[in-house]
Amino acid sequence: MVQSDDLSTAFAALAHPTRRAILARLAKGEASVNQLAEPFDLSLPAISKHIGVLEKAGLITRGRQAQFRPCRINPEAIKSVADWADAYRPIWNQRFDAMAAVLEDMKEDDK
Amino acid sequence: MSDQDSWVRIERVFDAKIEDVWRMWTEAALFQRWYGPNGAQVPTAEMDLTIGGTRKIEMQMTTPKGPMSMWFIGVYKEISAPRRLVYTESMCQPDGTIIPPEAMGMPEGHPDVTEVIVELESVEGGTRMVMVHWGVPAGTAGEGGWMQAIDKLGEALNAG
Repeated sequence: MVQSDDLSTAFAALAHPTRRAILARLAKGEASVNQLAEPFDLSLPAISKHIGVLEKAGLITRGRQAQFRPCRINPEAIKSVADWADAYRPIWNQRFDAMAAVLEDMKEDDK
Repeated sequence: MSDQDSWVRIERVFDAKIEDVWRMWTEAALFQRWYGPNGAQVPTAEMDLTIGGTRKIEMQMTTPKGPMSMWFIGVYKEISAPRRLVYTESMCQPDGTIIPPEAMGMPEGHPDVTEVIVELESVEGGTRMVMVHWGVPAGTAGEGGWMQAIDKLGEALNAG
């Protein structure tokens, strides 16, 4: 299972429509930065930044060919996010720890 | 559900009254205090606590590039204070438009609507809570089609 911090990074990377669109495109097959930029009204550097965020989050990988460096989706990372039960279990446990703390605070206030 | 990966069940006993645990789920100001631990905040929590009423949550994470928000929207399906609460949840745009999982590169069949069921019961020592969070895969009756879909995606990617 992926650590919840990695998942936070992945979710943060997903919290942007352009990056989601890039992922949806890559789900159909690998593509170069130029190809990825085509449907967007964005500069190449702007697209590259989004690709960098996705790459850092581990959601995509890039090939080693110096010139093209095609981007492809990282199925394992996508699976960790897609296996949302595994993703959510640690998140819910943290939340309920926090809920217990708030309930304790309420009791203190009542005293 | 035959597919155990498509749901989360957590049981806890809180040293608190059942009414107080109920308020944690249903009062926005209290909900915001616990729902976003680990660096996440909940700047928005709209809760129209009626059957069919809208529930909209903004979760905000801090990233090196500044705050990043994810929005979730759903409706209340069951409100039986202080014992049972059922609501749906989907990822959405800030305006409430649901984001289909395919738009995130997720395999077809990934749940686009999930449901949270909270059951509370007074027990010795406090309140027992059982929470179930499960996915309703798009286009199926709820049986675990989406794990197969993920496998298919994996195969497709490996073949490519």
